[in-house]
Amino acid sequence: MRAAAARTGGHGPIGWVAGVSLAVIVAVPFVFIVLQAIFPELGRGSLAAPLQHLPKTLGDPALLRLAGNTLIIGLGVVAGCTLIGVPLAVVRALFKVPCALAWDVAFLVPFMIPPYIATLGWIMTMQPRGYLQQLTGFNLGPLLFSVPGMILIMSLNLFPVVYFAVSRTIEAVGTRYADVGRVFGARPGRAFFRITLPLATPGLAASLLLVFALAIEEYGTPAALGTRFGFEVLVTGIENRISDWPIDLPGAAILSLLLVALSLVAFLIQRRILSSRNFDTVGGKPQAKDKRPLGAWALPVGLAFALVALLATGVPLAAILATALSKTISGGLKPANMGLQNFEEVLGNAGGALQALMNSLSLGIGTALVAGALGALTAYAVVKGSGRGRPVLDVLAMLPSALPGVVVAVGMILAWNQPALPFTPYNTAFILLLAYCCILLPQPVRYATAAFQQIGDNLEAAARVAGAGPFTVFRRIMLPLILPSLITSMLLVFAVASRELVASLLVAPVGMMTIAGFIWRQFEQGSVGLGMTMSFIAIVLTTLIPMLLIAALRRFAGARFTGLH
Amino acid sequence: MRAFSLALALGASLLATSAMADITVYSAGPGGLIDKLAKGYADKTGVKVNVFQATTGKIMARIESEAANPVVDVLISASWDTATDFAKRGWLATYTSPNAAKVPDFLKNGTAVAQGISALGIAWNPASGTPKPAEWADLTKPAFEDLVTIPDPAQSGASFELVAALQAKDGWELFKGLAANGAIVAGANAEALNPVMQGAKAAVFGAVDYISLAAKAKGESIDVIFPASGTVIAPRPMMILNWSKQQDEAKKFIDYVLSDEGQKAVAATYLMPARTDIAANRPLISDLKILPVDAAAVYGKRDATLAEFGKVVGK
Repeated sequence: MRAAAARTGGHGPIGWVAGVSLAVIVAVPFVFIVLQAIFPELGRGSLAAPLQHLPKTLGDPALLRLAGNTLIIGLGVVAGCTLIGVPLAVVRALFKVPCALAWDVAFLVPFMIPPYIATLGWIMTMQPRGYLQQLTGFNLGPLLFSVPGMILIMSLNLFPVVYFAVSRTIEAVGTRYADVGRVFGARPGRAFFRITLPLATPGLAASLLLVFALAIEEYGTPAALGTRFGFEVLVTGIENRISDWPIDLPGAAILSLLLVALSLVAFLIQRRILSSRNFDTVGGKPQAKDKRPLGAWALPVGLAFALVALLATGVPLAAILATALSKTISGGLKPANMGLQNFEEVLGNAGGALQALMNSLSLGIGTALVAGALGALTAYAVVKGSGRGRPVLDVLAMLPSALPGVVVAVGMILAWNQPALPFTPYNTAFILLLAYCCILLPQPVRYATAAFQQIGDNLEAAARVAGAGPFTVFRRIMLPLILPSLITSMLLVFAVASRELVASLLVAPVGMMTIAGFIWRQFEQGSVGLGMTMSFIAIVLTTLIPMLLIAALRRFAGARFTGLH
Repeated sequence: MRAFSLALALGASLLATSAMADITVYSAGPGGLIDKLAKGYADKTGVKVNVFQATTGKIMARIESEAANPVVDVLISASWDTATDFAKRGWLATYTSPNAAKVPDFLKNGTAVAQGISALGIAWNPASGTPKPAEWADLTKPAFEDLVTIPDPAQSGASFELVAALQAKDGWELFKGLAANGAIVAGANAEALNPVMQGAKAAVFGAVDYISLAAKAKGESIDVIFPASGTVIAPRPMMILNWSKQQDEAKKFIDYVLSDEGQKAVAATYLMPARTDIAANRPLISDLKILPVDAAAVYGKRDATLAEFGKVVGK
């Protein structure tokens, strides 16, 4: 241990813990996906006919179209999220926005709404005779079922990633550096664009990379909207290969590797932007956090926040609630058709609804804790370590954001259902925990990485001089400094893990129901109302639990806890 | 580190809830039915049934990935093609249940027997302001312009057989008419039905009947019409896998599903029961004209048919 520590510049033990955990959670399933792409008979334990599939899959003329469409969606959503998220984040970070806390909460809600549910809500609102037409007399169906419509819906669902990351980063940068610029004669705009915004690059670049990765591996929205106008992306292509008879696992594996390659390119671009610059802004000096008043701009800014909150949170939530309260879908929004039957059925445990809630919430908490801890360790080892393994760790930690859930699921089954294993998490709840950790790990890693990049090395050096070991430095100095970012990302992990659909459907142990499984089962049977009711309850719970947690933390930890202020 | 141990403890508590299964059944929907059958069987025999329920496609993907170390004892698929394919691979155990005596011969063979049967029809919303359709071709008329959804034949075995059977009978004309009339291909069955229930569309061309019948029973404005010119049925095969270490319990499970109690549970979901002597509150096979489907020939050119369908309907 001592030798290893010396070789990796004092961060050895942490690097090793992160490395071994990542190997188990990420590398193992990924290696099996690569093997599956090479050996078509892998599922049956045979290595026969290697690479036989490659020409057929790569020679498919549809492939180029799928890849092109995926890029359109990925770049479109990145642009959409930048346009919506960055201005709001900047204003939120630097000025006194009216009702700022309320907007933060409203922008958190899209994280809690499963994308496929939000999209279904949009469809039921905007299609002909949808809720919008029932209420106002016109429908926006043609806009919804188009590529711009799809990009808009996905951006409204994903922009909070950018909003929270950028506003946190700019808040951490503070106005101090820009003020120095002002002292030297820069106008406010120049000081912002030349000083504050560049210093916020780690948060911005990290969140845009995450948005790109999330957008190209998103399944629900392209599946629900894209099929209506024949727009297919790589993920829907992969999904079709896995769920259409005959099952084509090797083809799905090859397409997944293509998707991974796309994300890797984005990742390398991000690395290029961030490398060889210094973004240290947290140097141990106290940071003045007073924000400036907006003055006459208070009203328009407030209206802009309200409009985005209405579109991103209000409309989908209202549509979900309206459907949940409808006795029948065909009955429409008439008072006689409204009632609490669906809620009574879910709370009366119809179809195992309550077990599903318990299972998913426990798994969400477990995933948040494991992924959060591992994410912090990994980010620390990558940013502050100096070992040769750092790029490997970094790549491993971002890899899952490029892997569609369904592929992670297949990789998990292939890896953990080998007959030779003496014990296996497969067919227990642990396999879901592993799958969720794998899928969601990039979130805490990205947030923690951005936070670590802003902590100057002198803090750590001072602690090491005073005799603290690597774990002590991590626990007593680094962890408290990144805790706000880390907790934000863990809440995100909790919310997403509690409702993860695609992997849950495939790897769920026999006899175990999750929230998403329940919802999907109701939809499949035509009980849209019941499915939406469960969605609504899940959204409320996954929003309330983090809120209460934060309120409690602030109460007990007082000023020391600054998350989500 | 404390987080780790907490998570482990949490996981352990989850682990405790899923005790070792006595038999494991993978079943296509409806989810309520397999839960009821599992419970009824456990009450009768004391043998616990652990259920994994998903679409036929997802179940196949899981069995395919598990093939090196399979865990499933009994498989209930929504497509008879699965039974044929698995028999060809030599994955099925031979068993003829004594309770299968009243199951018609075309719904059973040495390695598979039907649990129940669904048929495809036109699911039509009476509140849509369109005239009640009686025939497939009615959906190509101007009254249904831009108002028809078609479940994706690539995602549903039954939809594929309907396309193949109608195409064998009359060629692609019908589908060209649908495409010209603005019909859209909209995902799996539920995705095709949902817009019809809300009224965005008026009819599903080839909807799985029991889902629509169940929705109607719940008060939705939806009717199912079986065209007199003929439709296709989708028997749902039950199979025992030959790697199962619980052959006896698995056989008893098949027996239970084919018992009076089991078949009544099947009928309660608006599926047709496999046994002809069980009453059902819906049209039965004898009430429908069934189009001939030569499974071997039809599935032999599945890719070509789907490609042609995609070209015709502009999917």
